[in-house]
Amino acid sequence: MPEPAKIEFLTRNPDEATFQIHRVQSNQARGMFRPQRLSEAVWEVTAQPQSFDGSRHFVLRNLQRDRYVLLSAQEHFLWNHFDGNHTLAEIAKLLHFEFGAFDYLIINQLLTKLHAAGLLAAVGASGVQSSIASKSSRRWVRAWVRLRRAWGRISFKIRDADRYCSAIYRRGGFLLFSPFALALCLALTAVAIVAVVRLSPQAKQITLGLAGMPVLSTGAMIATMLFVAVQHVLVHALACKAYGRKVREIGFFLLQGVLPTFYADVTDIFMSSRRARIVVDLAGPLVEVVFGSFAFIAAYWSPPGVGQSLFFGAGILLWEGALLNLYPFNFLELDGYNILADLLAMPTLRQRAMTLLPKLLGRLIRGPKLQKSEWIQSSYLAICFASVIVYVVLHLDALGLGRLFGAN
Amino acid sequence: MLFSTPTLAEFLRGISLFQDLDYGTLSSLLPLLSRRKVRAGETIFRELDPSDALYIVEYGKVVVSKHVSGQTDIVLTRFSPGDFFGEMGLFDAAPRSASAHAELDTTLWKLERHTFHDMLTNRPEIGARICYRLVNVFIQRLRVTNDQAREAIRWGLEATGYTPGQDADPFGRKST
Repeated sequence: MPEPAKIEFLTRNPDEATFQIHRVQSNQARGMFRPQRLSEAVWEVTAQPQSFDGSRHFVLRNLQRDRYVLLSAQEHFLWNHFDGNHTLAEIAKLLHFEFGAFDYLIINQLLTKLHAAGLLAAVGASGVQSSIASKSSRRWVRAWVRLRRAWGRISFKIRDADRYCSAIYRRGGFLLFSPFALALCLALTAVAIVAVVRLSPQAKQITLGLAGMPVLSTGAMIATMLFVAVQHVLVHALACKAYGRKVREIGFFLLQGVLPTFYADVTDIFMSSRRARIVVDLAGPLVEVVFGSFAFIAAYWSPPGVGQSLFFGAGILLWEGALLNLYPFNFLELDGYNILADLLAMPTLRQRAMTLLPKLLGRLIRGPKLQKSEWIQSSYLAICFASVIVYVVLHLDALGLGRLFGAN
Repeated sequence: MLFSTPTLAEFLRGISLFQDLDYGTLSSLLPLLSRRKVRAGETIFRELDPSDALYIVEYGKVVVSKHVSGQTDIVLTRFSPGDFFGEMGLFDAAPRSASAHAELDTTLWKLERHTFHDMLTNRPEIGARICYRLVNVFIQRLRVTNDQAREAIRWGLEATGYTPGQDADPFGRKST
């Protein structure tokens, strides 16, 4: 830990003829620092529903820079006192009176988040971070930076997506969010279920048709997946527009650094209600359900052959995709996870669970006892692990490990 | 007191600015210097004052500062016996870039710009030697200034709670 930086100040006395010199360490200055948030015209804050464990979060938005910050109740208290009149020392005392003992680190973390979001007055040090980070001498850090840069060239984003989405929404997109459209989707799904039930006796025979033409079937499935993935993301974005919120961007990236996927940044929906967020989350997978339903119905009406096999295969692929997307316990922040996080009002459930993971065993054996929120995180982790194991076992054949484990 | 040592020329010889000059040359320089005594707390020159001379500290201590706001300056450096300051004033007619104050009772020797320029004209070989030393001093002081700038930035980051390298993940929802 380096020594705190020191600066000397020379202060002239009122007579102007003499002066005094004060040596101030950065940590002393820290206590006297009066963080000042920007004027209220620049930001908005929205309280989130009370969480399952009794806590409450807030989402703070910088309207000018379109940046969002998630605040805990303590951080929200601090934010309210960052008015330029209170010193950090005073604010820390007030926080202690309000919430009892607290870790001073939360003040550092909040200041860092607010600096990054440009929500504090007269601070602009974002360039320093990148220049210091780029000088890191650790090999794995450099490798990671190179990898991220390389990936950055593959991924892309459309920043003015909101303009396009608004135009699409005005020119007919709004029809998707009418009760009639919902009824149509449900009816279509019901018809598709009937079709699947009627086709199920010949299902094995139909799918075997795909194995006979691997190139065509693989190409068709990839094309279907890409087409539907784009529609999926577009419908997420249109649902966001249906609630009058902004679509920050649409793009393609590695979800959690693992899963290449299209995305729509709908963070602005946090400034709306929980119901709105859940509708936005559900709207995407509904696309797979609808297109899958069309595929099954088409398979039902098609004569036996290549066409029927392709339609049936696409239907399975899309419905399974919808199920996987809606299933929350797979370590990925897919739509089902977002719904779960919204229902529990724990928007950072996965991150907090992953932070807890390395110390979970020690906490269970030696204590201190897990809090209610930590039990929820632990349960999430346990179900995720179990789900992944079950999924892998069920797909051993597809992974080419069936024989190894004696599966048929 | 340093001045009680054998001669002023010996004192000047110990100053990096004049270390390439022999005693004879130094003796010829003495009439060009003028002496100034300053009490502790007094200002030698202020930032933005006309810049007209270099000062050599014979005795005492000088603190150099730059105005920040109101009645407050940031201390840039200190000078002790044998050091010199205000050298930019020998070349540059721009106003003083910082203020100098006596931290203790101080005795200074002053070399005025017009005197220095006369010497450059009349005794160019002496002028060249002094200029060479001055360039070395400029380089050293530039390095010190870089370190000070880095330290000031570190101070600002620490005091305002900005932690480089620990930037929080931006909050958001990317629906996939």
